[in-house]
Amino acid sequence: MDIIIIAILVVILFSLGSALVGMLRGGGKGSDKMFKSLRTRISLSVFLFILLMFASFMGWIEPNNVLPTQ
Amino acid sequence: MSNQDYYVPHGTYWPIIGSIGIATLFVGFANLMHDVSWGGPVMGLGGTIVIFMLFGWFGTVVKESVGGIYNKQVDRSFRWGMSWFIFSEVMFFAAFFGALFYARVISVPWLGGAGNNLFTPELWEGFKAAWPLISTPGAIGQNGTEFSVGFELVDAWGLPALNTALLLTSGVTITYAHHALRNGHRNALIAWMVATIALGVLFLGFQITEYGHAYHEGLKLTSGIYGSTFYLLTGFHGFHVTVGVIMLTVILYRIQKGHFSSENHFAFEGVAWYWHFVDVVWLGLFIFVYWI
Repeated sequence: MDIIIIAILVVILFSLGSALVGMLRGGGKGSDKMFKSLRTRISLSVFLFILLMFASFMGWIEPNNVLPTQ
Repeated sequence: MSNQDYYVPHGTYWPIIGSIGIATLFVGFANLMHDVSWGGPVMGLGGTIVIFMLFGWFGTVVKESVGGIYNKQVDRSFRWGMSWFIFSEVMFFAAFFGALFYARVISVPWLGGAGNNLFTPELWEGFKAAWPLISTPGAIGQNGTEFSVGFELVDAWGLPALNTALLLTSGVTITYAHHALRNGHRNALIAWMVATIALGVLFLGFQITEYGHAYHEGLKLTSGIYGSTFYLLTGFHGFHVTVGVIMLTVILYRIQKGHFSSENHFAFEGVAWYWHFVDVVWLGLFIFVYWI
């Protein structure tokens, strides 16, 4: 499960990077590329958050909230 | 301007005012650290000069931009400038995430005896590798500190999840604002911008509450490598959200003033990217600090 979460995070970072390239290029084409990449990045982020909630509900992942007591 | 050569700016006093402001700020700060009485006021004065410089310098650039002085070459230089700034920001957070990963995956297991078993038990007797690690190995036996005391953090499904939802929603609203701007829907643009700013402010409010909780539970900057990385990462992130909210507010003001068109709105693009970046940093924090 961790691998899937990290893989989605990597794709999100890639979209953010792609948006940066679009912004750097500028003009009509660059602006389009930037907007579309940012839209992809936010859609994937919302999906990842929902996936985290679902995975936690199903018991596939456990939060880091308790330190093991010695 | 029809000339597409590089635009050479006129002489300006803002850089020297900035230098004086920063020097005053740090002289004040250094003396404050040494408990010198005038340290605080001088630091405040330096901060005021820096803020005055930022308003003045950015205001001049905005005036020149709106006045149509800039050509395509200048537009390109702004885009490159923003890209280098972003590169430094990415490296900044990469360093802190790197520290978190290094501590968790390499140094803490080593201290617990993983690898060649060189570091333990001779070095730190009684140390067991656990995550989150909330006391430094050197602190054992001093001040009555022991390793791995039972410790409960704020539930990941409490405020942190709420804050993630808030920030992601602000990512959605700024995307709608961006869409509205590209399509010339001015009222929708203003409404989405106001929503984005409000969500950012709400995030900061909850983050302060979360700090109050964590501190009350005993998690401090000195609470081992977990406490240090937790506060440095979330603290600097919170600072970036604050800066983002200020920039969004300035952009909203400029939208009201009619500075942007559906084709020409680089300032908006820069701030929108920055906001998305801060959003992704938080998502990484939420996942690596609270979950994985």
